[in-house]
Amino acid sequence: MTEVLSVSGLSVFYGTSAQAVENVSFAVGDGQVVTLLGANGAGKTSIMKAIAGLIPSRGEILFGGEPISALPARERVKRGIIYVPEGREIVANMSVRENLVLGGYHLAARDRRTRTEMVLDLFPEIANKADRAAWRLSGGEQQMLAIGRGLMAAPKLLLLDEPSLGLAPMLVRRVFDRLAAIRRESDLAIVLVEQNLAMSMRICDELHFLRGGRIIGHRTAADLKDNAARQEAIDAYLGAASAA
Amino acid sequence: MSDGLGNILLDLFPLMWSGMITGCLYALGALGLVMIFKSSQVVNFSHGNVAGFAAFLIYGFSSGVLLNLSWGVAVLLAMIAVVAIAFLIYAVISPLVFESELTATISTLGFGLIAQGATLLIFGADIVNLDLPIPRFSMSFLGLFITGYDLTVLAVAVVTIGTLFFVVDYTKLGIAFRAISENPFAAEVCGLNLRSIHLFSWIVAAILGVVGALLIVPTTFLSVTTVAAFMLQAFAAAVIGGFASLPGSLVGGILIGILMNLFTFYVSAEFTSTFLLVLILLALNVFPNGILARAGGSRV
Repeated sequence: MTEVLSVSGLSVFYGTSAQAVENVSFAVGDGQVVTLLGANGAGKTSIMKAIAGLIPSRGEILFGGEPISALPARERVKRGIIYVPEGREIVANMSVRENLVLGGYHLAARDRRTRTEMVLDLFPEIANKADRAAWRLSGGEQQMLAIGRGLMAAPKLLLLDEPSLGLAPMLVRRVFDRLAAIRRESDLAIVLVEQNLAMSMRICDELHFLRGGRIIGHRTAADLKDNAARQEAIDAYLGAASAA
Repeated sequence: MSDGLGNILLDLFPLMWSGMITGCLYALGALGLVMIFKSSQVVNFSHGNVAGFAAFLIYGFSSGVLLNLSWGVAVLLAMIAVVAIAFLIYAVISPLVFESELTATISTLGFGLIAQGATLLIFGADIVNLDLPIPRFSMSFLGLFITGYDLTVLAVAVVTIGTLFFVVDYTKLGIAFRAISENPFAAEVCGLNLRSIHLFSWIVAAILGVVGALLIVPTTFLSVTTVAAFMLQAFAAAVIGGFASLPGSLVGGILIGILMNLFTFYVSAEFTSTFLLVLILLALNVFPNGILARAGGSRV
């Protein structure tokens, strides 16, 4: 399996003293889904933003074997690293279709049209609302739009930050059904930040447990197939923080 | 009684017509201010002085003071100069834009003073006459006295504003502009270069400012403060539009033009500036989000 992303010794600071991420290392292979699991404040989103180039960081980030730490966010998008942020961050007063155009901003017009149709096929819930303002969509539909916008840029690595946040269980299931379909049909690598372990287990290959900005352990999905093993790992790594 | 009402109406419509014509020019100025504010959250206080400098450049290039060029070439050169100035101003303040919009806004006051100083230095403090090659005719239509100047302003405003609205509403560049205006983080996540979209707004605003300045000058004269004073009306128009809406700025411009005309004719020509400031205060209190504000935003 080819390595798509390799992160080593990643640290993120806010201001001069607050350290959000400390010496984090992990790798993501071609077509692999890696979940970062941890309580609020564990540093998950900071890691995602650092990989996307949205915040400064220290350490080495290799994408497709090449160092990208010095590249601005827009260059990383052009190379295929797409961040789907927590809280959707769609452009509320633009239509669904315009949000998708924004996602595929760097593509040639013909490719953008083809990908728009592909994304709308993948998410029929928003296809019949393509000309509707994004703020009029339901929470689940907005999340689908956010993921669809991420897919517009022909990503090689999708950084999905809490796609289930604020959604009803039925909508969470629907969003993860789509992610499972994407996973089956492409070799897209995904780094998933998720607090809903049951859902992330449906699609992920490997989990890294985070606490206080550090990776404190990891398990493969196969290790955690059994409910008891899963609970044991959660208790061991995250303890009360996760249970809360 | 009916004669009195008839006379008022006879005065009213021509006043509204000429107010609308001037209002189109205020709208051009306001649209520039709002474009810059929407994209980069900076109120550009140098807008009027830079546009005034450009108007003086056109005078200088076409009158023999600097060069002796045809009017069209002089306008083209002045446009190039103003685009270069917009580029320069943005290049200097862009690091501030990402740190503090307020600091960036205050720095534009400095650029305004530099532009005014450069105008004084090159052209002096004298009042000059800048005439435009516009068709000179007049006609009467439904009791309105319509001049070639009126129709020129209307045509230029319709074409310029129409083109701007088309670009903003229907092109990829317009989508980028709207995305950055509403959610800069989303735009950055999608890989947009925020600086280049900011720069697009600054350049378009500078061009709109020159067009507005050029068309307002024939109604008065050109002095070092003429265009800056005109931009005060444009500022009021932008405030009426909530400083965030391009259609609101258009409506605000026309409204300011008409109201100022009516006030000058029926109340006092001496207190028009006071009236303008009262209008700004009223607009801020009654329509804090702009006259065309509507409900919207994220549902979840």
